[in-house]
Amino acid sequence: MIATPVRPRRLWSQRLGRTLVLWSASLAFLVYVLAPVAWLFSSSFQTEREIVSKPPHWIPHQPTLQNFAAIFAAKDRSVTYETRRAADPATGGYIPSTAASLVPAIGNSLIVACAVVVLNLLVGVPAAYAMAKIQFRGRPVSIYAILATRVIPDIALVVPFFLFIRNLGLLDSLWSLIITYLAVTVPFSVFILVSYFESLPDELDKAARVDGCSRLQTLTRVYLPLSLPSVVAVMLFAFLASWNEFLLALMFTQTPKSQTLPIIVASFTSDFTISFSFINAAGVIAVIPPVILAVAFERYIVSGLTTGAVKG
Amino acid sequence: MTGNLSRRSFLKSTAAAGLSCAAELGGIARAPAAETINFATWSAAVDTVKSHLAAFEAKTGIKVNYSNLPWAQYRETMITKFVGNAPIDTLWVSDSWLPEWADAGWLVPIDQYQTLTAYNADASDFCNQSMIYKGKQYGLTYYTDYMGFIYDKELLQKAGIASPPTTWAEVADQAKTVKSKGLSEWPVLVSMAQETWLIEFLSAMVFSHGGRFVDDNGNAVMQDGGARSALRWLVDAVHKHKILSPSCVETGELAGLKTFSSGQHAFGLIPKYRLRTLNDPSQSQIAGRAMLALMPQGESGSHATVGWMRFYGMTPRAQADATRAENTVKLIEWFGGKADGEYKFQKLLFKDVGAAFGVKSLFNDPEMREVYKAYGNVDLIEKQQALARKKDVISPWFGEWNDINGAAWQQAVLGKVTPDQALKTSAAKWAELKKQS
Amino acid sequence: MTASASLAHRLTRTQRLSYDERRAYLFLIPLAAVLMGVAVFPVLYSFYISLYSLKLTRPQRVPFVWFDNYIAVLSDPQFWSAVERTVIFSVIAVAAILILALFVALFLNEEFWGRRVLSALLLIPWAIPYVANALMWKWIYDSNYGALNGVLYQLDFINTYMVWLGDSDKTLALIANAFVWKEVPLAAILLLVGLKTIPADLYAAAKVDGANIVKRFFHVTLPALAPSFALVLIYETMMAIRHFDLFFILTEGGPGDASHVVAWRIYVETFRNLSFGTGAAMSYILALATLALSYFVIRALAQRVAT
Repeated sequence: MIATPVRPRRLWSQRLGRTLVLWSASLAFLVYVLAPVAWLFSSSFQTEREIVSKPPHWIPHQPTLQNFAAIFAAKDRSVTYETRRAADPATGGYIPSTAASLVPAIGNSLIVACAVVVLNLLVGVPAAYAMAKIQFRGRPVSIYAILATRVIPDIALVVPFFLFIRNLGLLDSLWSLIITYLAVTVPFSVFILVSYFESLPDELDKAARVDGCSRLQTLTRVYLPLSLPSVVAVMLFAFLASWNEFLLALMFTQTPKSQTLPIIVASFTSDFTISFSFINAAGVIAVIPPVILAVAFERYIVSGLTTGAVKG
Repeated sequence: MTGNLSRRSFLKSTAAAGLSCAAELGGIARAPAAETINFATWSAAVDTVKSHLAAFEAKTGIKVNYSNLPWAQYRETMITKFVGNAPIDTLWVSDSWLPEWADAGWLVPIDQYQTLTAYNADASDFCNQSMIYKGKQYGLTYYTDYMGFIYDKELLQKAGIASPPTTWAEVADQAKTVKSKGLSEWPVLVSMAQETWLIEFLSAMVFSHGGRFVDDNGNAVMQDGGARSALRWLVDAVHKHKILSPSCVETGELAGLKTFSSGQHAFGLIPKYRLRTLNDPSQSQIAGRAMLALMPQGESGSHATVGWMRFYGMTPRAQADATRAENTVKLIEWFGGKADGEYKFQKLLFKDVGAAFGVKSLFNDPEMREVYKAYGNVDLIEKQQALARKKDVISPWFGEWNDINGAAWQQAVLGKVTPDQALKTSAAKWAELKKQS
Repeated sequence: MTASASLAHRLTRTQRLSYDERRAYLFLIPLAAVLMGVAVFPVLYSFYISLYSLKLTRPQRVPFVWFDNYIAVLSDPQFWSAVERTVIFSVIAVAAILILALFVALFLNEEFWGRRVLSALLLIPWAIPYVANALMWKWIYDSNYGALNGVLYQLDFINTYMVWLGDSDKTLALIANAFVWKEVPLAAILLLVGLKTIPADLYAAAKVDGANIVKRFFHVTLPALAPSFALVLIYETMMAIRHFDLFFILTEGGPGDASHVVAWRIYVETFRNLSFGTGAAMSYILALATLALSYFVIRALAQRVAT
């Protein structure tokens, strides 16, 4: 066709204009995304005295690690008549006794999240393979039926589930969380996996069958290794969803024995006696693991969401 | 063939592992803590309680699992725990919730424990009466107190005001003077956040305006009389005189205490025991300046205020097992009665936090009178105590009505509805709940 | 083929299908069990509970009341105010999410140095737990010491610190802001995916036709984005209607009842008033409404996309 016309001056000003727009957009973007989080971090390094300044100190003048120390070293000191503090918790930088539950709560969250990830794979991978590669009655409807279970609001699940688990005496156990989280995360996992499996050629399937593999072996030896990106995406989504979940954990856990991190952190925010800086430090602790995971595996998350949309 | 076998046995062993794991976790969830008594409280005087518990454990060898929650959400959190069968043996309870919790079966009467009922003779009538529901007694007194009207002596002096106000109209005038002199932006403090304290603040306002929420027959009268003038005063304070901050609906009692102790207000509705904290130089910036005055009276009102008490309750779970019941009773006596022959905890509590005791004999204790003198006018405190009245809304449906009432008052203060509409809503809800019960 | 041969052929074919189907069902059983047990069963059980007057403060007496709970809920003006507030909140939130996500997607669609880094940072709000998000914004909105007041004060937009969450006019918008901040990343990624599927020839053809940037945007980009837009719209609306965490931590339904949305109402009715019967009825009504809404919207969009 016609050769690209050369107009140097217009090109230069166009490029400048574009660069300016991109730079200002980048700045706006960074401020929008990072500023609230930066303030959270900044507050967590301030002392109680400093954090109540007007106007606030954006960068701590006297940064301190005492809030984090309080979380990780929150051990019950033995209190006797002589050593008791008479000050009212309301007026001091009060570290609540529940601070000691923060680290065990991280443990609980971790156990639950890992269990949910494993179960997601065990339950979801075979099901997705079946829906993608095997002809069976009801196949076209199945994916919609599965996704339809997620349309129901969690609060509608809590009411009956709470009574049911309570009557079984299983409240305050991690299992109630694991099973409910599984049900909440598996539809989306299956959706991602089905999209990815469908994009893999059917010939592989037939080739494996010709070689004498059963369905299960076809799945584990042929398709699974090929779909590693989507499996990683599923693991990430399931982990993050479990780690961040709040309402179900609020209902099903009663004591620090089974309470997960969001519950403990939430219990701080409603207690006015607790120092603001401590609450922010607890928030930082809650934020760091999922953010690190998400940013490190960003590639898989995005590809997990885009699978099927691009290929299908 | 071999492939199938190994797969099957693998599945079997995983299933076995899974089941045993589940049994473990389930077992952990259900293992009864036979030795430990579970003591639930709100987060007040934490170290005082801990020190007293250490002495208890040292003396009796009984282990106590002590937990505390924020008072502002205590009722809601405890209810979730009750409904969720969380292990609790004894706990602090507010007088407001006794009918509701007793009817629901979460508290049991303690009449059968002679060691506890023996203390009734030495307890004030107000306290004893508040713990009795349907003829049975449900605990021993933790502490009792009333809503005080506290002013900052220095701010009044600087504003040129000679003596504190005696009527709510005077409060408005004096507050305006303080504000006009630039001494305080919001001279009046009334914490109206929707939390456990709210009913106490509202009752104090209503009683001092000569009104009531509910009459002696249990019928709602809040839509007429003193309650109307009380709510109107609050609404005018926010919108007309601008002496009460609109953020009062967001301010809880503790937040209010913090701002009052930093000298931001001239007048405040504050629980009387907070005088101790407000006049302590290590905890407050206005130490020495916080003074109690008689509750101002409204038009056709009086200097009445609301009084409350909190007590140690016992749960059915504790009573179910003989040993646990015995240990729980020992714990309740150690805290609510005498420890080592004296009212140790009550004295400690009073010295540390200023929380008043319900024990008659301690009133004449010289040590206690000395402590009072350090931060307050003892005679005035006693005079106001005599005028403290019990809340009239204590009923089995108190919890549900309280939410609606609180929201209605907040709506009126925010200017969303008129005071009359708010009180009508509240009265209607009371009538509805009363009918349903 | 002889008759017996074709019969044999048909038999082997059905046998093979059977094996496949058996395997398929075997693979699907765990999934079905979990979903049946944890998603379908509660819905049925919830309906069952909603037919009784179950109040845990009155555990001895649990009468069967047919549909009284539903009538009580649907004739309660407070319920309808909660619905109204839910609608307001959802509309504000979803509109803001769509607009912001579109800007972010368009921005990240451009090729420039640092784009990968920014894309990774975009995931931060999405990864943060809802609780931490609520805590963060509660601290920012704090009337006495918050950053919002601090920034406006330092920039001289206000003279004194203002009340934010406690001002019932602003409450829903502020909560929506916190919600939007967390939801924009996912929406932006979904839109970005849609942008990437637009073939470059469409743009080239438009350029040849003489369309400038604005015209290209309205005539090429937006129409091609319609399916992605629809997906984001549906998904975010579902999320907004049922959202609970922020309301619990930021305002607990207050001040007054300014942020008393349906999800919060269900929680209060069930776990504070301990009236499980009416709570179940309410959550059932909410579930049905969401199902109906999603069904109609999806059907309408499917028709649109088909044409």
